[in-house]
Amino acid sequence: MLPITHILPLTTVRRERSLPSPGTVTARVNEKVQAGDVLAQAEPPARHYLLDLARGLGLPEKEALRHVRRQPGERVDSGDVLAGPVGLARRTLRAPAAGQIINVHDGRILFQAHGEMVSLKAEYSGIVVATDGVQSITLEATAALVQAVWGNGRQDHGVLRVTGNGPSERLKTDDLDINLRGAILVAGVCVHTAPLHQATELSCRGLILGGLASDLIPVVRRLSYPVLVIEGFGDVPMNAAAYSLLTTNAGREASLDGRVGGLYSNQRPEVIIPLPATRQVALPDEIIPPNPGVRVRVVHPPYQGAVGVVREVLQRAVGYPSGILARSARVDLEGIGTINVPLANLEILQ
Amino acid sequence: MSTLLEADTLLTIDVGSVNTRAGLFDVVDGRYRLVATGRAPSTAGAPLSDVSEGVRMALEQIQTVTGRRLIDEAESLIMPATATGAGVDVFVATTSAGPQARTLIVSLMPGVSGESARRLAASCYLDIAGELGLMDRRREDEKLDTIVQARPDLVLLVGGTDGGATHSVLRLVELVSAGLGLLSEESEPRVVYAGNQRLASAVTERLGERFPVTVVPNIRPTIEQEELAAARQQLAEVIHDVRSSRISGFDELRQWSGGFLMNSADAFGRIIRYLSQVYDPAKGVLGLDLGASHTTIAAGFGGDLRLFVRSDLGQGAALPGLLRHASLADVLRWVPIDVSETRLRDYIFNKALHPGVVPVAMEELHLEYALARQILRTALNLARADWPKGRDPVSSPLLPPMEPILASGGALARAPRPGYAALVLLDALQPTGIATLVLDPYNLAPGLGVSAGPVPMATVQGLDSGSFVSLGTVVSPVGRGRPGRPVLRLKLERERGEASEGEIRFGQLAVIPLRQGDNAKLTLRPERGFDVGFGAPGRAGTLRVTGGAVGLIIDARGRPLHSTKDPGRARDLNQKWLWDIGAIE
Repeated sequence: MLPITHILPLTTVRRERSLPSPGTVTARVNEKVQAGDVLAQAEPPARHYLLDLARGLGLPEKEALRHVRRQPGERVDSGDVLAGPVGLARRTLRAPAAGQIINVHDGRILFQAHGEMVSLKAEYSGIVVATDGVQSITLEATAALVQAVWGNGRQDHGVLRVTGNGPSERLKTDDLDINLRGAILVAGVCVHTAPLHQATELSCRGLILGGLASDLIPVVRRLSYPVLVIEGFGDVPMNAAAYSLLTTNAGREASLDGRVGGLYSNQRPEVIIPLPATRQVALPDEIIPPNPGVRVRVVHPPYQGAVGVVREVLQRAVGYPSGILARSARVDLEGIGTINVPLANLEILQ
Repeated sequence: MSTLLEADTLLTIDVGSVNTRAGLFDVVDGRYRLVATGRAPSTAGAPLSDVSEGVRMALEQIQTVTGRRLIDEAESLIMPATATGAGVDVFVATTSAGPQARTLIVSLMPGVSGESARRLAASCYLDIAGELGLMDRRREDEKLDTIVQARPDLVLLVGGTDGGATHSVLRLVELVSAGLGLLSEESEPRVVYAGNQRLASAVTERLGERFPVTVVPNIRPTIEQEELAAARQQLAEVIHDVRSSRISGFDELRQWSGGFLMNSADAFGRIIRYLSQVYDPAKGVLGLDLGASHTTIAAGFGGDLRLFVRSDLGQGAALPGLLRHASLADVLRWVPIDVSETRLRDYIFNKALHPGVVPVAMEELHLEYALARQILRTALNLARADWPKGRDPVSSPLLPPMEPILASGGALARAPRPGYAALVLLDALQPTGIATLVLDPYNLAPGLGVSAGPVPMATVQGLDSGSFVSLGTVVSPVGRGRPGRPVLRLKLERERGEASEGEIRFGQLAVIPLRQGDNAKLTLRPERGFDVGFGAPGRAGTLRVTGGAVGLIIDARGRPLHSTKDPGRARDLNQKWLWDIGAIE
């Protein structure tokens, strides 16, 4: 059982998008949506307040309780009177922010302030195929799909443009001119911060790299646009299959999702390029055994990023220069030849 | 089934984040012996999110090797064993795989019960998402926000000695109740109460209507006393429930094992505690498990177990966490070839992306073992802070005498030569005096730890059945001297008659051939100022030693082991030590 990375020129992409907390879903099932469309909105709680009625109104607790003017669950604006007025000074207890009363207990109002409105965008054009009506929406599209190994947690969409002269070339500031303003860039590798900041200046909507120097991780995490790494960290060129797919789709609208789900999540950083479909296309396979003929990618040196086809899964463990014995496959690697690779160092490529 | 032994066959499974390992023990000549092992990639992660597939693949390997059918047509474990020799009598399982449960620790005293709760959480692979205490100075509404932001899967509520504080604990319970009530309806946090037992029913009454409450023994029954073991066992059940809600297959494992499913770290700790009751009480017993996602350090002192688990230290997904504790230069000092910091950093982050990869080139192997050294060294230093007085780092910066030292973990198990594993342990742990280095190449220790419940004899005999590899006895004189100054004279008289004699000089790492299973009489005469563990510096003595895969190792490089600041000299020394210990030819 090997991990799978999808690099597919045409597939059906089905993704669930969720609000951080329940809210209002505005999109309907079977509705066609564009990348920038808002599908749902929510006001996640920002913070809570315990408001002391007795102290606020200057009354004994029992008496103060009789002057509460709002019901639990009732929405109020900032400054609205929650209790009072009482006495000659007409003392009141007012809402510290827009929100709602959760409960009144032990002479205190538990008040929940609403946070800023959060909007859930489609991020790629497709059709709404399901929703729970309050928090999550499933969106489907026919698209090209390129999955990455790492992302900086951000999402955006824009038009794909290629910069530089190939998958192994280092990204330079000279490669980034005004013609690329607002685009999603496909480049080789990045080992300096300057091009990353230049891309910010150009209001780039995203960056797709083969490799990224690992010392740039903290910088990349702070960038406002999504950055996706297809192969790994270091001077690693993007594999030929992904580079070719991305460059042939230059000029098209693409969606970048740089969120990393971790070991126990299906969430992977990915590029989705919606494409017009003339026929129904199958969903990608999630499990493919490493049988002869299956396309694979090497994920560890010395051939990291090389793509090939399994010729044979070897029955006996193979010894390597490190002295390690490992279960292996004989693989025809493009441009390299037929070599043995530990199964643990391979991913299925589909 | 044997009349003397409880069962004839025992099957153990350990589901790790990267590998799933199986071991089959059978009774041969009246004793439990390891007859086969299987290993497969774990399938707890995406896309399957079901541990069963990895378990079945590991079992299939055992079936292929032994010809013994373990799984029936319905893909269930055959149990008990049939008259035709299919299936097994007893099955036990351990696991360290699965997402960590987000945990909110609520305690009365952060430095007392809170500290114990943190230790308990760490040894159960919990992710501490937030902490609250009666003593913390945040306003009550800020504490409510802490609960909401933590979005806990589990609330660990501790505090109050047995028969002690009641009012303060109940105030905390009220706060927790209010905070959990603010979570969204889909959240179903479990509450585990491990505080003043007199309040157990009151806590259940106040919280139990809305949230499932599990009462476990008080982890701090008195101010001075910490009791984690009993709570840990029951807490594991709750954690398995949380884990099962996200990953399939755990319920099946629990059903097959008849409830004998434990956290790997807890089970590993059981073995160490047992060994510490059997071995010389004057010394401790040290166990370490270097996993992909966690590092476990278990130390036993006459039955007193100190279990320490770090989820930010490991040789896979957890690898970048090492950089919060150590610099790249700290790692590179163990590398025998010239590697740049940039290359090492890239290696660390790539390994985290693909935790299961194996090193193909020598450079990668050297980086793997340099990282292993630094992880173990870091984890040991952190763990020792919780060791009993006299053995903690305040009492002495040197590791106290430990016998034996049991090491587990994928990187150590797959060492191309036993010398690699031995040198990693010597550099990382820097044992003092006389110790035996034992390797658990099939990761059987956790399984045997659980077996102590249903088949205690299997645990006792399994440890002694050749399924563990002795790397050898190591003698590490404590003392300082000029390089080349004599440290000790030794005489090794093998039971087969041959004898070796010689002098060891300061800075030397020497291996004297003594094969696994061979016994010998070793006489050590240390020079003045050097202590080999016979009670005082310069004191001589004789002891019986057994051989190992490396042999008898004399590590006279000094304690603590001083590394040179000259990178070129450090590389040469590392290379020389690899040579001296027989890791390279």
